Amino acid sequence: MRARLGLLVALALALAAPVGARAQLAGDTSLTAPPVAPPLKKGSPLDHLTNDPKLDEPAVGYREGQTGTEPFFVAHRAIDTDGGMGWGWVRKSDDDWGDGKWIALQEQPGLAVAPFRKLKTREGDADWEFKFWGHYAPYKAYDPHLDELLPVFVLQGYEVIGRAAPLNLRVGPPGRPHSRGSGASSRPGTPIETNHNID
Amino acid sequence: MRLLSIFVLFVLLGSRAAEAQPGEHIVLTGGPALRFMEHGKDASHDFYWFNFVDASTIWLNQIKSTAPAGDLITWLVYKPAYVSRSNELGLNLISQIVGKARALNVNLLFFDTKEQLINYLNKGQDRDKIKITSFDYFGHSNKACFLFDYSNTIDTMSICYLHVIDLKHIHGHDFARDAVCKSWGCHSGELYSKWWKDEFDVAMTGAVGKTDFSHGGLPALSDANCRWAQ
Repeated sequence: MRARLGLLVALALALAAPVGARAQLAGDTSLTAPPVAPPLKKGSPLDHLTNDPKLDEPAVGYREGQTGTEPFFVAHRAIDTDGGMGWGWVRKSDDDWGDGKWIALQEQPGLAVAPFRKLKTREGDADWEFKFWGHYAPYKAYDPHLDELLPVFVLQGYEVIGRAAPLNLRVGPPGRPHSRGSGASSRPGTPIETNHNID
Repeated sequence: MRLLSIFVLFVLLGSRAAEAQPGEHIVLTGGPALRFMEHGKDASHDFYWFNFVDASTIWLNQIKSTAPAGDLITWLVYKPAYVSRSNELGLNLISQIVGKARALNVNLLFFDTKEQLINYLNKGQDRDKIKITSFDYFGHSNKACFLFDYSNTIDTMSICYLHVIDLKHIHGHDFARDAVCKSWGCHSGELYSKWWKDEFDVAMTGAVGKTDFSHGGLPALSDANCRWAQ
């Protein structure tokens, strides 16, 4: 009788025990090799990016996308030495640089893409200036490298003006801490340290 | 004695029945980068367009085989990134994802915005009755953010993400008290897990260091210096 009771209790306990599903999950984590991508479509943006010859620097006067209308923006390419991925400054053509914004550039493959796509290096257009056509997006871009938000300029076309002197402006959006290494946040109330790690 | 044994059985089975409200298992999947954005970079992401999707389906399959009968299994997928990668590839990835969900017989919901995601977590089910009992994220991340969009709309940036400061919009009572949560993305164990625990009183396992999706299957820690943490 006692054995029977023990059996019943054991059975009941087994049924009552929470299912430790996660503890049991294991086994098949493998997968066959990923399928091979179809061949690049001839003339696609990725095809051009991959196969077109690259230049050392932009070609003055080169135009891409929808250009030529008034008004336009003036854009100054700059590299963020703090490790951020912002593109540079943009201002309206009749403003001065004091009104410029540090922006994230939204390219439109097939219409207009960042001028550096034609160059051998992504920094090859640093301190070059361009006429930009496009508009600001209603959303902001999150830069995971610096945990900050940037206004987004949607590029519809550009024309290369030429090389320019570096601007005497602080790189980055307003409010960026002067010393990124301090552990301070670029966003109020968020104790996020500088983090260049993303994957 | 027989009465006693029946009583014990009833008590124990009854207690299980009282706890046996159906739960919901959520798998959240972010999107891949565009190759256009990643081409030529030293650390170039997402050569394979379904690295996050394949990991998710493997995990969904394992959940299916172990979840209690009656539990819901829901797969939330960030759609815009797969639409744009479809256009780049010349493949219809959306229909492929739908086919995978159908084959697994799980609930598939696409979302376009963070707000839609949060709305589903809070109101997609009656959270008084159906709690989230497991939550897994597959996608790009840094220590402060789940990046559903990454290097897909804007090179190396994100326009759709769930930052730790967004967690306050998700209700703590959405989760079962013993919910099991994990981010399979990079760096979540360095900060996100702490905020998750503080916000929901539920632990989230996350990686300290990087995880690697590039070999197919479930991601692994990138090297011996990485570890899982809560």
